[in-house]
Amino acid sequence: MSCAEELPASEPVYAVRNLTYTYLGRFAALSGVSFDVRRGERVALLGANGSGKSTLLKILAGLIHPTSGHVAAFGKALTETALMEEQFNRDFRSRVGIVFQNPDTQVFSATVREEIAFGCLQLGLPPEEAQQRLDDVLRLLEITDLVERAPFQLSGGQKKKVALASVLVMNPEVILFDEPTAALDPRTQHWLIDLIGALGEAGKTIVVATHDLHTLADLTDRALVFAEDHTLLADAPTPAILADPAALLRANLIHDHRPY
Amino acid sequence: MTRGAAPPRSRADTPAWLVQPQAPLRPGSRVGRRRASFLERTLGDGAEVFRRAMYAEIDGSRGALQRLDPRAKLVALVALLVAVALVHSPLTLVVGYAAIVAVAWAGGVPMRSFVRRVWLVVPAFTAVAVAPATLSVVTPGQIVVPLWTWHGAPQGLTRQGLLAAALIVLRVACSVSLVLLVTLTTPWNRLLGALGALGVPRIFVTIIAMAYRYLFVLLGNITDLLMARKARTVRPPDHGAGDRRFVGAAVGTLLGKSHHLAEEVHQAMVARGYAGRHYALERSRFVAADVLVVLAALAAAVVILGVDRVLR
Ligand SMILES: Nc1ncnc2c1ncn2[C@@H]1O[C@H](COP(=O)(O)OP(=O)(O)O)[C@@H](O)[C@H]1O
Ligand SMILES: [Mg+2]
Repeated sequence: MSCAEELPASEPVYAVRNLTYTYLGRFAALSGVSFDVRRGERVALLGANGSGKSTLLKILAGLIHPTSGHVAAFGKALTETALMEEQFNRDFRSRVGIVFQNPDTQVFSATVREEIAFGCLQLGLPPEEAQQRLDDVLRLLEITDLVERAPFQLSGGQKKKVALASVLVMNPEVILFDEPTAALDPRTQHWLIDLIGALGEAGKTIVVATHDLHTLADLTDRALVFAEDHTLLADAPTPAILADPAALLRANLIHDHRPY
Repeated sequence: MTRGAAPPRSRADTPAWLVQPQAPLRPGSRVGRRRASFLERTLGDGAEVFRRAMYAEIDGSRGALQRLDPRAKLVALVALLVAVALVHSPLTLVVGYAAIVAVAWAGGVPMRSFVRRVWLVVPAFTAVAVAPATLSVVTPGQIVVPLWTWHGAPQGLTRQGLLAAALIVLRVACSVSLVLLVTLTTPWNRLLGALGALGVPRIFVTIIAMAYRYLFVLLGNITDLLMARKARTVRPPDHGAGDRRFVGAAVGTLLGKSHHLAEEVHQAMVARGYAGRHYALERSRFVAADVLVVLAALAAAVVILGVDRVLR
């Protein structure tokens, strides 16, 4: 199942070329964006609200498709047609996990147990193995006692953990996070950052959309900065980006009175 | 929107009123207790009750009914629904309803909510359609409750009209009870899985699954919206035009928001490999008890129709 065998080390996980996305033919969300993501890289997507980060993550997750431009994943074109092919769909979905910003999006089954097992069962894991993974991931995220609860009986932080569990349980190669720490209390934020760090160290490829400049250096090696006109403003190692207030200011990510 | 054009807002732009402190709380000022408006109560309670009811916890290991294979339950359900639809005597249906309640009781279904849910739903479905049919104007026949006279002839509720109405109400009650009996004893996910296994096309299963999730999004949003409104309401509710305006505006936002969230819910499912199939964590096995249930349901359907023929 690991793509290490199939991909030469140099082959990028994602190759994005001249990507443009427009909602309803009118509202631009991304314009002329190009970059690569390599295996095991930890990439931050930086940008003010509305600069197109969530849209990009959904494109990388194969949920929506470019208005123009080209996206390849694991060396294969990531198009609607390609994903209709059952085998590719299964391979791709099992390798790429996305954690949405709003956990309500992801926590919907009647119980936490069903929600977390959902992905494993969809990918055809035998119920026994799904159950085993479920137990492991519950322990990892310290939510074993929530397993029989309904989603509406969970707090925001707990929902976030369940959403995370429902993705981790599938053991994806690539994990896309949309503002993972937003609306979490500081303790849970730190816990989550540690977890993402650990996943990175375990060799996962991580793409994370964030505003949180404080944790950026710990979390990522490289940052893509998006401008408010939806273009890619900068693509550089994270320390270099953090050392360049001018770029951050141009992206409206920092305030001139109060550098982060 | 242009690169680097808009300078970040500085403190100087903050309007004066925003930085002004509010007057201190007046001691002793008696503001009557704020009563929730009718709208708040009905919508809010309704949404919450519905949400809880739909998430009714199903303990899969508890009763005999819960342990049955969902496919067996669905087949039995269809057989009995057909029988109920073909019955012509209210008496048969009364006996049938009693039997359903007895089965539910034996199967460990919480009685109070089972009966209450049925009789909350039935009037909503039938009242409007059924009530006029009881009148002699609509259904001529032997008048049992005279209400008024028209051209010298007494008019009112007729025996035939009442029987016809009873038949419809009982039919709906039996059908709803049967459906509830299945849904209250089967986890939703397994029910969808069983629909697929019985050959219901995937697109229908997906639509049902998404409609169900969408409903939750909507209910959750209703609750949130009302809370947000409550938090911003300073004056007591006016129980009138304000409420109506609010509903008008709210419905718009609600549908927009819910649609957006529902789309993301679907995307989150697709991202985890969803392609219209539902799988359960527990492997379901068709055991002797399941076969028995299907046979019993078929037999019951035949008996019901037979008895009904005699009673008519
Ligand atoms: N469903 C949608 N319909 C129309 N426009 C949208 C939709 N979602 C996002 N947009 C627009 O696309 C742009 C990028 O949005 P998004 O990707 O959510 O940005 P970010 O995640 O960086 O805040 C924004 O200008 C937003 O208004
Ligand atoms: Mg976003």
